[in-house]
Amino acid sequence: MSTLIPLASDESLPSELRDLLNSPEGPAFEHALDAMVRQREQHLFRALGQLARELHDAVRRLGGELAQEGVPGIVADARQHLQDVLEMSANAANRSIDFAERIRPQADALAQRADDVLKRASGDELVAGFARDAGGFAETCRTGLADMVVAQSWQDLSGQRIKKVSAFIGTVETSLLELVRLTGALAGAEAPVDVAKVTSQEDADRLLSEFGF
Amino acid sequence: MKILVVDDFSTMRRIVRNLLVELGFTNTLIQEADDGNNALTMLRAQPFDLVVTDWNMPNMTGIDLLRAIRAEPSLKGLPVLMVTAENNRDQIIAAAQAGVNGYVVKPFTAATLQEKLTKIFERIAASGAKA
Repeated sequence: MSTLIPLASDESLPSELRDLLNSPEGPAFEHALDAMVRQREQHLFRALGQLARELHDAVRRLGGELAQEGVPGIVADARQHLQDVLEMSANAANRSIDFAERIRPQADALAQRADDVLKRASGDELVAGFARDAGGFAETCRTGLADMVVAQSWQDLSGQRIKKVSAFIGTVETSLLELVRLTGALAGAEAPVDVAKVTSQEDADRLLSEFGF
Repeated sequence: MKILVVDDFSTMRRIVRNLLVELGFTNTLIQEADDGNNALTMLRAQPFDLVVTDWNMPNMTGIDLLRAIRAEPSLKGLPVLMVTAENNRDQIIAAAQAGVNGYVVKPFTAATLQEKLTKIFERIAASGAKA
């Protein structure tokens, strides 16, 4: 059984605190304790203030750099820039899909024509060979166009991230101010939950099959 | 045949529409909605054979749309294929429990979409034959 160490002689406590605990004067003790707590709070506030100022400076510098590059740049425009990126990427993706929609019927027509020619080639190997090549090329085009259309899904995926970052920027400044006000709540901050990621279609399929799908 | 494609990104709606045409759904009327609320209004107004929906959308998400469909007597049998970038375990389980008919993770290929659609239509045909 371990011996119970009286608090006043506990070696792990700072010496000031031990002295205070040994002091017979109650009010002096409380006063000194208040001073210590206040001192600690001031450290925390100073650190937070520093953090807020550094962040503010960084954001202002970013705005300045954007302005020097000829973009109308103040911090408030940051989200507008992201919105512009979103629109530009959507336009680029749409142009690619336009192209696929324009070429697909031509590939279909070529395949049909190649088929007709092949049927009427009647032993002419040169014509038949050419028709087969044309048919093959039309098929390759169709597959390639479909792949190109699917590849445009990058716009949706990157766009979703841009939207999230945009919303984040909008809340950062408010959150910072709130943070300084609510320093007391810092100690109770929750750790982020680790979410198990399913990385591939196979993983998703396996998971679904466990549920009878 | 009538298919409703639900996604808040117009690019994605176009991509899915293109793929459906490419996969041979040429005699199919493909309509679009940009969130779950609008989708639900359209589904109540006219009959559809399939819903292809994203998860992450404003106003009403894909999972809420799925739950709303399953909760509504006139819609509850409607096949729903989820096409989404949401790929964490809990979300896939939630979709499965809500009664999704297929789940395609973005980015996907034409082959994957075709495989899931074929499965859905085979199951519809099989249950139709039994009935």
